[in-house]
Amino acid sequence: MIDFIHVVKTYPNGTVALNDITLHIDDGEFVFVVGASGAGKTTLMKLILREEKVTSGKIIVDDIDITKLSYFRVPHYRRNLGVVFQDFRLFPKKTVYENVAFAMQVVGTPQKLIKRRVPALLKTVNLSEKSKCFPNELSGGEQQRVALARALANNPSIIIADEPTGNIDPKMSLEIMNLLIKINKLGKTVIVVTHEKSLVDYYQQRVISLDHGTIVDDRVGGMYE
Amino acid sequence: MRRYRISYFIGQALQGIWRNGVMSFASIAVLMSCLVVLGAFTLLIVNINTNLENLDEVNKIIVFLDYDLTEEQIVDIERQIKKIDEAKTIKRITADEALRKLAQRAGENASLYDDYYKDNPLSDSFEITYDDAKDLTTIEFELQGIEGVRKYRDQRYIVNLISDIKNGVLFVFLWFLAILFIVSVFIIINTIKLSVYSRKSEISIMRYVGATGWFISLPFILEGAIIGLFASIIAYFVEEYLYKSFVGSLGISIEIITLIPFSELAGGILAVFIIIGVTTGIMGSSISLSKYTKK
Ligand SMILES: Nc1ncnc2c1ncn2[C@@H]1O[C@H](COP(=O)(O)OP(=O)(O)OP(=O)(O)O)[C@@H](O)[C@H]1O
Ligand SMILES: [Mg+2]
Repeated sequence: MIDFIHVVKTYPNGTVALNDITLHIDDGEFVFVVGASGAGKTTLMKLILREEKVTSGKIIVDDIDITKLSYFRVPHYRRNLGVVFQDFRLFPKKTVYENVAFAMQVVGTPQKLIKRRVPALLKTVNLSEKSKCFPNELSGGEQQRVALARALANNPSIIIADEPTGNIDPKMSLEIMNLLIKINKLGKTVIVVTHEKSLVDYYQQRVISLDHGTIVDDRVGGMYE
Repeated sequence: MRRYRISYFIGQALQGIWRNGVMSFASIAVLMSCLVVLGAFTLLIVNINTNLENLDEVNKIIVFLDYDLTEEQIVDIERQIKKIDEAKTIKRITADEALRKLAQRAGENASLYDDYYKDNPLSDSFEITYDDAKDLTTIEFELQGIEGVRKYRDQRYIVNLISDIKNGVLFVFLWFLAILFIVSVFIIINTIKLSVYSRKSEISIMRYVGATGWFISLPFILEGAIIGLFASIIAYFVEEYLYKSFVGSLGISIEIITLIPFSELAGGILAVFIIIGVTTGIMGSSISLSKYTKK
């Protein structure tokens, strides 16, 4: 459950990226966030990740007011979130397996559990046969699937994807989006920022439209623009 | 249950040192120099203090006789000295005895002196003790009138000299040391900063998957600690080499000073080096990280 209550985000240089945002996302929802460049989509994601702090207002995630979260609790809070970026952000010197396993090592998961869980995750994203490959041996779509497996590694309840298909050709995009839908069906809340009109129209999910830092449209089964 | 592997952190730290080779080397070199100076300073002070303690009879004059005197002449000189009222005791030290004493002081280097027994470069001498510092002038005046006395030396002069040297050295070294330490910490801060920078993207990924501050920081803290450890171990061997060469080069030229053998101080020096080296390393990396981890 994610609640934004009158959230304002002003960057130090004076840019008002989000202006009085109030919104509610239920557990297990699938949400598209759309809007022109500079509308504030990435800022919205960064606020949920607690990478940026709100200027005013409140954000409640799973009953925690994250605007009041202390620096030391942020890492533990983030373990409940899985993130995917446009540029994948994999470790180039680690194999597919190691990239996914690393997310678990970082939080101190016992090796035994890692060995059991990583193959299962790779199976979820249909990459079992590529586990020994390095990122530069994979296509963009495949790299993004590795990133998705990594996002799922610590079994978060919320998945955030900021333009996950931005660097991938359209055919592969559909595959990534299907995976996100599949992940949503597993019970996870999924928030996807995208520019791709055709995908939004195709999936008929809830669409939140941002413009100049405010929500201009929010409807289920909505169309882009 | 949460389990973290020490080997992961150490591996990351060593990788950082290797990747950042030039800066790591500079850090180690400067910190090492700092420790060597500190060590030299400590050794000097320890030696000075020991020697001051050993000068238990400060009221003592050593009278060196001319070379090639006959036994008769020496006995005659002894008789003349005995006439001085202020002289309390007189003890003769033959040239051979003096050489043996020197050899003893050299400890492990004693064999260096073997060759000198055939053609002893030292002369016979007398040790005169007296009760009161005031007597010194009278005794010295009398000694001037005795033929066959080459030179004499009273110990108070040495006491004064040594404490003067000690104070001068203390002053210079402390400044030097302070500057070196500041430079060391500064270089380590920059080394770690560079190391953090070269892993910026890795760190950002680690943050996204929920790595705690200490998990991210520990490799860098260890990197500083390992730099400190390397520096301290190298410094120890450099110190040993320098001290032994110093003792060796002084050899026969100093008759009154006892130098403490390195082996007696080795354990303490190594321990202190490691403690200071590692602490400095950790301090440098902590300062470097404190800016970074605030965000
Ligand atoms: N770190 C920052 N400092 C200052 N201004 C920023 C910062 N990040 C974003 N902005 C500004 O805030 C506004 C919203 O940016 P944001 O990145 O959220 O937009 P976006 O909707 O994700 O755009 P895009 O579709 O191009 O990714 C923009 O005007 C942007 O220039
Ligand atoms: Mg963006």
